[in-house]
Amino acid sequence: MEVSMSVNGDTQTSDVEPRTLLVHHIRDTLGLTGTNIGCDTSSCGACTIHVNGESVKSCTMLAVQADGTEITTIEGLAGDDGELHPMQAAFMECHGLQCGYCTPGMVMAASSLVAENPEGLDETAVRQGLEGNLCRCTGYHNIVKAVLAVGDTA
Amino acid sequence: MSVGQSPLRHDAAAKTDGSIEYAGDTVPAGALQAVVVFSGRAHARMLLMSTDSALAVPGVVDIITAADAPVNEYGLTMRDQPALVGVDHTGAAAVDAAVSRWEADQIAVVIAETRAAATAGAAAIEVEWEDLPLVDNIDAALAPKAPLVHPENGLDTNAYHHLRIRKGDPDFGFALAYAVIDEVYEVPHQEHAYLQPEAGTAYIDNEGRVTIEIGGQWTSEDREQVAHVLGLPEDRVRIIYKAIGGAFGGKEDMSIQIALGLAAMRLAERGEHRPIHCRWSREESIVGHHKRHRGRIRIRLGATHDGTITALEADVDLDAGAYNYTSNKVLGNAHVSVAGAYRIPHARIDSRAIYTTTVPGGAFRGFGGPQGHFAIESAVNRLAAELGIDPVEMRLRNALVDGDDGITQTVMPEGVSMREVITACSLQAELDEALPDPEPFSPIASLPSATTSLRRGRGFAAGFKNIGFSFGFPERCEAEIVLNGNPNDETPTSAELFHGGAEVGQGAHLAMRQMASDATGVSLDDVHGHFSDTATSGDPGSASASRLTFMAGNSILGAAEEAEKAWREGDRPARGFFRYTPPPTEALDPETGTGAPNFCYGYMAQCIEVTVDVDTGHIRVDRVTSTHDVGKAINPALVRGQIEGAVVQAHGYAISEDLQLADGFITNPRFSSYLIPGIGDIPLQVDSQILEFADPLGPFGARGVAEMPFITYTPALTAAVHDATGLWFNTFPLTPSRVLGGLQAAEE
Repeated sequence: MEVSMSVNGDTQTSDVEPRTLLVHHIRDTLGLTGTNIGCDTSSCGACTIHVNGESVKSCTMLAVQADGTEITTIEGLAGDDGELHPMQAAFMECHGLQCGYCTPGMVMAASSLVAENPEGLDETAVRQGLEGNLCRCTGYHNIVKAVLAVGDTA
Repeated sequence: MSVGQSPLRHDAAAKTDGSIEYAGDTVPAGALQAVVVFSGRAHARMLLMSTDSALAVPGVVDIITAADAPVNEYGLTMRDQPALVGVDHTGAAAVDAAVSRWEADQIAVVIAETRAAATAGAAAIEVEWEDLPLVDNIDAALAPKAPLVHPENGLDTNAYHHLRIRKGDPDFGFALAYAVIDEVYEVPHQEHAYLQPEAGTAYIDNEGRVTIEIGGQWTSEDREQVAHVLGLPEDRVRIIYKAIGGAFGGKEDMSIQIALGLAAMRLAERGEHRPIHCRWSREESIVGHHKRHRGRIRIRLGATHDGTITALEADVDLDAGAYNYTSNKVLGNAHVSVAGAYRIPHARIDSRAIYTTTVPGGAFRGFGGPQGHFAIESAVNRLAAELGIDPVEMRLRNALVDGDDGITQTVMPEGVSMREVITACSLQAELDEALPDPEPFSPIASLPSATTSLRRGRGFAAGFKNIGFSFGFPERCEAEIVLNGNPNDETPTSAELFHGGAEVGQGAHLAMRQMASDATGVSLDDVHGHFSDTATSGDPGSASASRLTFMAGNSILGAAEEAEKAWREGDRPARGFFRYTPPPTEALDPETGTGAPNFCYGYMAQCIEVTVDVDTGHIRVDRVTSTHDVGKAINPALVRGQIEGAVVQAHGYAISEDLQLADGFITNPRFSSYLIPGIGDIPLQVDSQILEFADPLGPFGARGVAEMPFITYTPALTAAVHDATGLWFNTFPLTPSRVLGGLQAAEE
């Protein structure tokens, strides 16, 4: 089936099998390997992207369901001039990453969380908002710090 | 000076913008896809395998079987595992290669144009098996006339590795005791759950080497094991580590490396020169690689009225599973750990690694330390409670100090800081202040918070962990440094560091660059690393056993000195190579356990505060104080990252992670049913307390830290739960149902 979607600002039209998951489409067809796959059960959140501005685990959608949507992946989060998104910069500066495999999904989920809470976030809200994203390295404390570094000033 | 500072990671930008390349991330143009086929049999003898139907599946290019393995055996410390189980192998093997000894013994590698075709091909392989008796736990393995998992080793028991300690006269020691604890502790499996499942790519490089791009923990050892099976000299195999999505010990042994290597070699021989790509699903990863050892530890510990320990007896049985992996080494650590960092005048310890037909036990952060410490620290806490002595006071009374003999009857390596660490932790944790009343909480946001059913408690544990593989293993670590500059330059303008050490996420490559910067005087920004490629870097030893900073630092200091000599002699560029070897260690005497197994330890203590909901069994950890003598924090932010990360991994081990086995099969191999901690589950507060008592041998005084914060967490937690509820738990994870069951049983 033919699907067409805006991916990081560019229109991408492809022929996909109906059963193709959006995450496989992004990685294998579009070659955007920043979106990671960590499980088979929608448990880990490593594949989190933005669909029409909201964070979505891209293993929970079929590519055909994303037809006509606007997709942002981790590769499209930085500004056109290459300047990192504040959430990316905060993860760097707060040591919110180790192996980095969960990081793209965390950053996408966290940036969406902050955008959805313009009044600001506290620690409890960050913990609840990121429950769908697993990290096995950091123990999460620096991730909370990174999100609050951005979310507090939102 | 860069050492002691916390500059940002040089890989952080690429990890936050998605541009970093993990092993197997990019599938090269024209690559073939490989699927590794598991036996699906816990214990069975293969009678027949036919790949005819599978080869006829459209898209299937080739199938690698046991017949393709020039040498059909491998193993990191013992070659007791067939590379591919099969009936038609002609290669040398000391192990019976026709027998599957666990569900994920590999039997074939199907190579196809697409992953779907490879999967269809795998399903079309026809195998006839003759089932052999299950030996799916250590009781079955130790039963009289139990079937032998490895009859080829000539032993008449599945308990294939046995360590002993015979010190003093335990009967006399127990006669001196006022109180004696005699308990049996059960420790569970743990899955590594690194976020990136195994993935890699193999090809023949332009110098004709079988090349494998993968994520692992020890390039040179991967190369040795692959080359052994392929029947090639080691220099005909090349291992390259791309970015690695976590490891924790779980990538120290082989997973898909040999399968990929055999496939690349055989296809090239048949004229097929396309790269071969393989990636495991989460389920394949959990089923297909080793686990932290489950086991059973019986311990007797006696002390006088004032808390002075007089005697110890311990029997440590670890389930090694189907193959040794690193079980003999893990057992050594559990064997020494079970005596704790204490003066014990009389002791008998017997530790055994036991084959079963289940998932192998192997390396996992702590490497035997968590099992041994759970037993001894739980016993010390119980003994202190029985004697009415403060648990910190009890530990200070017995802790080893410089000049003491350890349990193996040789003097402890210089720099014993156990007392200082215990004292610092107890002060930091404010143990002299009463716990405040519980804060209402609900484990599930949509449920109302409990208030009246909450009980607070506090627990303490302490211990130590050796640096390195030890027990006689020939440790080494190699580094090369190149200093660049013009002939007239007095000092180099840049430095290049060639090192094999694996960056598994811990920040090792940054720490290495920092040490190289200080060692050469070149600013950190001008120190460039070339890492983890056997074509360009030497043998680093493993990124495990809390050893890499210690070993790499010493290799870097030596290489910098050599390079500086060459620089002074006028070489431009000036090269220096150095192979660091720490003081030799000894295997323990087989009868008495006497010997000097280690040359350096890191010491740690932890205090945990909990709230237990006695109506639901939920445990919330309110505060963790984690105190570590790291010798020297090369990069304090990275050290804190190790502490916070290890604490949360240990939290999962202690509370939620519950690997289920039935008839030798893992029944919950996915993140939806094997529950690692999420961000809502973690301790509310982790205080990382870093102490720096320089180690005499460590680079800049550094010891190691990666494993220590894991090791004492569980016994500190169970002590806190006892403080809150009055119940001692001798096994875990402390899931709500287990806690509730314990509370209900105590009421009846």
